[in-house]
Amino acid sequence: MNRDWPVADLDPVRRLRVLATTVPGGAVLAEGLLDAPFDLVWAVAADLEHEFPKLVRNVRSIRVVDADGERLVAEAAGYFGLRDRFDIVLRPGWCVMESGRAVGGMAAVAEGEQTRFAFFGGLRVPGSRLLARLGAPLGPGVVRRLRERVALR
Amino acid sequence: MSDSDLVDLVTAAQRGDALAMQELLGLLTPYVGKLCGPIALQDGPDATQEALIAIFRNLGRLTEPAAVFGWARTIAVRAAVRVARAASRQGVAAPLEDVPAVGDPLLASDIRDVLDRLSPEHRAVLVLRDLEGLDERTVGAVLAVPTGTVKSRLFRARTSFRKAWVR
Repeated sequence: MNRDWPVADLDPVRRLRVLATTVPGGAVLAEGLLDAPFDLVWAVAADLEHEFPKLVRNVRSIRVVDADGERLVAEAAGYFGLRDRFDIVLRPGWCVMESGRAVGGMAAVAEGEQTRFAFFGGLRVPGSRLLARLGAPLGPGVVRRLRERVALR
Repeated sequence: MSDSDLVDLVTAAQRGDALAMQELLGLLTPYVGKLCGPIALQDGPDATQEALIAIFRNLGRLTEPAAVFGWARTIAVRAAVRVARAASRQGVAAPLEDVPAVGDPLLASDIRDVLDRLSPEHRAVLVLRDLEGLDERTVGAVLAVPTGTVKSRLFRARTSFRKAWVR
């Protein structure tokens, strides 16, 4: 009879809200509804080496140096000579990455013919969550640029 | 996942390791959704999200990582009752006259209908006792109510479910 009980599901975007809210260094989450199918949106978002630096302004380049299933290791270079090594989990609709200094994530879920996309990122330094709220949030720009990149395909 | 792997995962998540947190989130979400669904009904996703945020915010207070599911269960059930209450969709918990008998093919679809007519607190008792298999004393501890209250809620809920719930 257990199979007949209603079960609540939490889609990847809502799961990312949980993570963004609770992970140390997590910052304000940005969400948007993109007028494109999930496969197209995720093909852009998940292309870490080519598209991610175009989405996240403070990342100049990313190079995946190791991959084992959905686990990746990537070296990221930022501006001002900053370099960081990220451990990443990447699967359809879900990506979380962290280094010693930063943490971030992306999620997407189909909503009919459209796709809901969410992004969060933050620095793992004391007060980063507060600073992110006070300063210009990173997330809305990522969603806007993703929308532009998807439109180009 | 073995017990020791679970302990390692929870311990890493308690340190704030984001990859461990996302993996633990993947493990806990179906379980929390299974508990919140029958209690919060249409507000199940909201209850699940609220419960998981509370679980991960308080993860550092969990002293026995191996007991993470039981610990999360208490938070989830209480969150589900709170969310369902706030949504003011609680049923009247009145005796039901039209519940299908055991084996009635309508029962599968009508379980949702029956749950709809119970209060969130009654649904929580049913979930803990019948879905989770807890005894009345443990149910009382999870819900922070006396065992007598659990018994009376069960009696009323079971009356509603009639023989479908007789053990």
